[in-house]
Amino acid sequence: MKPHISGSQIKTILTCLTLFTMLWLSNLALAATHNIHLAAQTLPNGQHAYRMLSHTSSEGSTPTYPNEATIPGPTVFVKQGDVLNVTLTNNTQLKVGLTPGSIEVSPGDTRSFAYAADQVGVFPYYDKDSHMVGLFGALVVDNPNGAIDSFIDEIGNIVPTKRADLDKEIVMFMIGSTFWGAEMVNGNQIPLWTNPTLGAVKDDLVRFHILSLGPGHTWHLHAHRWPDRNSKEMIDVKMLKDGVDSHTFTIKAGSGVGTGYWQYHCHLFSHMEAGMAGKFHVVAAGESGASIAGASPSGHIFLNPFTDDPGLVTFEITDEPGRWFRSIRSDILSPITKTRSLEVIPPGGSVHFIMSETNAVHTITTLLWPSGANDPDHGDHRVIPFSQTKAYKGGAILKLDVPGLYVFTCRIHPYMFGAVIVDDPATEGLDLGESIDIVTGINGLPTSSDLATRLLRTFFVATVQENWQDYTSTKPWHPNYPSVAVRISGGAVVNLKDVLEARYGQDVKLASLFKPTTPGVGEVWINTQFEKTAGKTKPGTITVLDAATWTIKRKIALPQINMNHPHNMWSNREQSVVFQTQWFDDKLTFINREDGSLINNIQIGNTPSHVITIPTNDDITVAINGENGIRIIPAGTMTPQPMIMTQLPGQTAAGPHGHWVTADGKLVVTPNVITSDIGLYDTDSGEIVARTGSGGVFPAEPHPLAVGVGIDKVYTTNLLDHSMNVTGLDGTLIKTINLIADYDPVSPTGPDTVKDRDGDGLVTVGVLPIQTPVDPTGRVVVTANTGGSITIIDTQLDRVVAMLPCDPGCHGVNFGAKQGGGYYAYVTSKFSNQLIVVDVDLNNPANSSIAGRISMVADKSVPTDDKVVSLAGMGGQGIYAIPNIYNGWVQHLPDAWKAGLTAAQQNPVP
Amino acid sequence: MNHKACAELLVSVLQTSRHARQKEEIRYKPATWLTVCLFAILSAIFFFAGNVAAQGSVTGNFHRIEMYADKPYPQYEYLAYRMLRHEVTNPQGQTSDITSRYSTAAIIPGPTIIMDEGDVAEITLYNSIPNPDKIDLHENVSLHVHGVHYDIVSDGTLKYINLFQDEGATLVQSYTYRWNAAVGTAGTWPYHDHNMSTHNGAEDKGLFGALIVNPVAKTVAVNQNGSIQSVPLSSIKKDYVLYMMDDTFAGTVIDTQTGKQTPVWSNPALTAQAGSNVRFHLIALGTNFHQFRLPGYSWPDPITQTLIEEKAIGPLEKHVVAIQASTSTVYLDSTFAGIAQNMTGSFNVAP
Repeated sequence: MKPHISGSQIKTILTCLTLFTMLWLSNLALAATHNIHLAAQTLPNGQHAYRMLSHTSSEGSTPTYPNEATIPGPTVFVKQGDVLNVTLTNNTQLKVGLTPGSIEVSPGDTRSFAYAADQVGVFPYYDKDSHMVGLFGALVVDNPNGAIDSFIDEIGNIVPTKRADLDKEIVMFMIGSTFWGAEMVNGNQIPLWTNPTLGAVKDDLVRFHILSLGPGHTWHLHAHRWPDRNSKEMIDVKMLKDGVDSHTFTIKAGSGVGTGYWQYHCHLFSHMEAGMAGKFHVVAAGESGASIAGASPSGHIFLNPFTDDPGLVTFEITDEPGRWFRSIRSDILSPITKTRSLEVIPPGGSVHFIMSETNAVHTITTLLWPSGANDPDHGDHRVIPFSQTKAYKGGAILKLDVPGLYVFTCRIHPYMFGAVIVDDPATEGLDLGESIDIVTGINGLPTSSDLATRLLRTFFVATVQENWQDYTSTKPWHPNYPSVAVRISGGAVVNLKDVLEARYGQDVKLASLFKPTTPGVGEVWINTQFEKTAGKTKPGTITVLDAATWTIKRKIALPQINMNHPHNMWSNREQSVVFQTQWFDDKLTFINREDGSLINNIQIGNTPSHVITIPTNDDITVAINGENGIRIIPAGTMTPQPMIMTQLPGQTAAGPHGHWVTADGKLVVTPNVITSDIGLYDTDSGEIVARTGSGGVFPAEPHPLAVGVGIDKVYTTNLLDHSMNVTGLDGTLIKTINLIADYDPVSPTGPDTVKDRDGDGLVTVGVLPIQTPVDPTGRVVVTANTGGSITIIDTQLDRVVAMLPCDPGCHGVNFGAKQGGGYYAYVTSKFSNQLIVVDVDLNNPANSSIAGRISMVADKSVPTDDKVVSLAGMGGQGIYAIPNIYNGWVQHLPDAWKAGLTAAQQNPVP
Repeated sequence: MNHKACAELLVSVLQTSRHARQKEEIRYKPATWLTVCLFAILSAIFFFAGNVAAQGSVTGNFHRIEMYADKPYPQYEYLAYRMLRHEVTNPQGQTSDITSRYSTAAIIPGPTIIMDEGDVAEITLYNSIPNPDKIDLHENVSLHVHGVHYDIVSDGTLKYINLFQDEGATLVQSYTYRWNAAVGTAGTWPYHDHNMSTHNGAEDKGLFGALIVNPVAKTVAVNQNGSIQSVPLSSIKKDYVLYMMDDTFAGTVIDTQTGKQTPVWSNPALTAQAGSNVRFHLIALGTNFHQFRLPGYSWPDPITQTLIEEKAIGPLEKHVVAIQASTSTVYLDSTFAGIAQNMTGSFNVAP
């Protein structure tokens, strides 16, 4: 038999085998084993971080690591082929782990895993749950031959480089809207914390490792360029995509451009506005190229005064009701502050926000600040007021120098509040400041004024779940305020709790619940947006009320889709499918009206607020509050078409919130929150018909939030302007109604704070107005004012003719049919669990009255798809009464639904 | 004398003093126009800062450019750059005026500036954006360029950032930048404002444009019939500059034979002759990420040297799509937001 392999072939194969074996052996000889022991710790500001306890290598030398837990965690440098035996000790109070490795370690425990570094590159290691708040670090796996990314020199040569040639290595994590840095110089690892000033001597070879976790970024360094992933393509901006990403490059500092402070920043415009920037300081030869660390979680803050390093407090932005701005150390602070949304720092401290537990887009916006904080002489007009043009995912960071009270909010979700007191340690009491400026252009408002303390009280009610009104409790309402000394106007030092209780009372007896004597028609669907159930991490249910009996018919939580903050509803003509927006998410949900079951859940756009159909064709329109248009879904389909854009191309995203459609289906009307205007758009062509500036009481930021459309007029509430614009269907401004004309905001609270100042013989106040529908006949506008009142406008006079009491966070209004004729206005409140039923008097609107108060808390007999576990019945926002009795819609009801209505109700505008 | 007249007077003075640089901050009051103008003119004449010294000597052409930052529509918030003058002096000292290639209007994206590797440009920016309310704080507008060499005085940032000086034009004072398109800086780069209104600038309002630095080699990689071919730059018939804003493409079309630039604004319909080589110069700007697609076409990826059919682009990243036109199609951003906002336009190829 002929041999299959000839002698020469065998020789070749043997040679090859020998070669491969040698290569393999040499690799084996080069590969090192690292024993790495990390600890997870909690830093003084409540953030978590990794620390290197020990690192030994079979290769010998290891870097000198910081003696503390740092963000980012220690950078681990290894070579391809190395083996890492990693041990993690968890010294925090929460379960933490490490990816890669996928270990989970309980508090106090230690666990290990082995990891083979088989791929060259830079990789983040991180905890899968807490990586946005500090548990991350970098693993750099280098080529065993020492080669790293080439750099380009000043005359255009792409120069191959080795790690040994480097003067410095910089690690920058892009997290939220903050850089977290560290540098490696001569084997020493130095923490640089947030947005540091990176230093280098001209012509230093510097390698940057840019990493990101969470929402993506684009990294930009001024005046420098580098080969993209060692190619011939030169770049100076690099995208780090959503999720986990990294980018490494090498530069010769100041090459071709010289010395100077060169900015580095994220180039996402919202992130730029959120403070995501720092400096790369290239100095001349002979000068010190040392970097300067930024504010740190271990620096000087309230309760951690043991250091002079600049400190940083952190708010997590969450979807948890009330705790939308949650101090990450609120477990420690809240016994003192009685809220999880208040932080205290010394002048020069920094505030950091991270959108780590929310599915929505937001802005981080100063609602108010100490007067002078934006005065260039001692404050920083480049920082205050602080805001972003457009909602986004990420975070924010800013340094505050001027003592006093700062309140942050989200322009999209304007009841999200986080407060910071910048306290001068030299003065007695926590500094609220002499006076505050409000984003609406109110300047120099004394902190002793009624408006200032009323806003503070609103803050403590809105941010503390325990301070909400529970109508199922027999106890009086007892909001808790912090018993702390505060320094206010004139240097007076007062106890905050005493002041708030003296001004606004305490242990208030809540009104009794009662059912309206005349039944309503059909069902009332209420978004109990904060109610929490067992099967979901996100809050919110739909409470379905039987209007014939005033009993709760059903609770719908939709645990299978983790329905998140259900905010507003509408239905199809058949009244068979209810459309539900998820305001802290990007979804629109289709629900079977009859049995409350889920039909579909579709992506619709960031932070969808309101939904309404076009009465003439039953197409669905959804306001994309976090963006710039009205999304259209053709009737009978569940596939969104492109948007009706609320602005021209390239203009600021308008952020429409509570829109409406005219009865003839021709116009969609939007309150454009971000751009402060009322938009009218042609539903056929999508063209802009008119955009009318809103507000008028105060100079700026009126915050138009909802519209009601009457027969020939549009009523728009301006939340922060406390006003109502009345406009024509061509956009012409007819009138602006000042809803706080009877209110004195400036003086300290007293008997004259609210009195008839406009001489109409009535005392009416509508503080922070929200939803404002016009009844189906066009006669009456009912407005929910979050300050705790319901105002009634007679459209024949366009004046407020009555005021009714409401609860804190009074929010939603919609009309439903009253049995036998007429209409009820259903009114919800965010910070209570009752529905108020207003009997609207169409003949004499001033005679409108409260007809009933219904609990939104379901007893055990009520059918539900999930078990309510907390905040029962709380968070009342959107309302939708079925059958839909609005003019334009009522005419298209199926006969079975029409049968329950009077002739007048079937044709409300004859 | 109104501010426009003052600005025009300034222009005429500054045209004779090329390196004029003003370091003092001028506070402007409408009532004292004449004084301010006089002071500004005197400053322009006497304060030769002369610190424009981007490193590297001029081996190629020298570009002398003057641009305005305008608010072209009083009723809208848009801001835009406008070309006033562009002269090119070659190494032999011959100067040609190429201003006529540009639109005379303020346009978005701004004028596309085209240089060769080795060229140097001096660009004077005038600010004619009215801002009567906040004149002290918000009067600065700048040019911050990417990619090329420039020293710290040409960074186009505020002193707040560069710790040196405010590097922008005010209503009463121009600012001159020096860009060195040194060898190694070939590519398509953004330029944009960094100073207007805030230290982030008003790039989101329309103050941006493109700089194209042609490589010394004068070649470009194109997909021709399914393979990557290096072709002479001169074979490119049209350059489409397409900025990808958060909600729209905004474009300029450049006829490479004449150099003529035509603004085509939002989601334009683009045209090409079948068989001709064309390029899409894509630059994103804003907060959104995009996914560029041109269904039916693939093009060379400069990183992997392979043909790709789509490209993810984040704000201020750039990417050049070089193809040989064959069939009509559309270009689009295929992200969820791109589709929701109808970010697409036609690409019509004539046989």
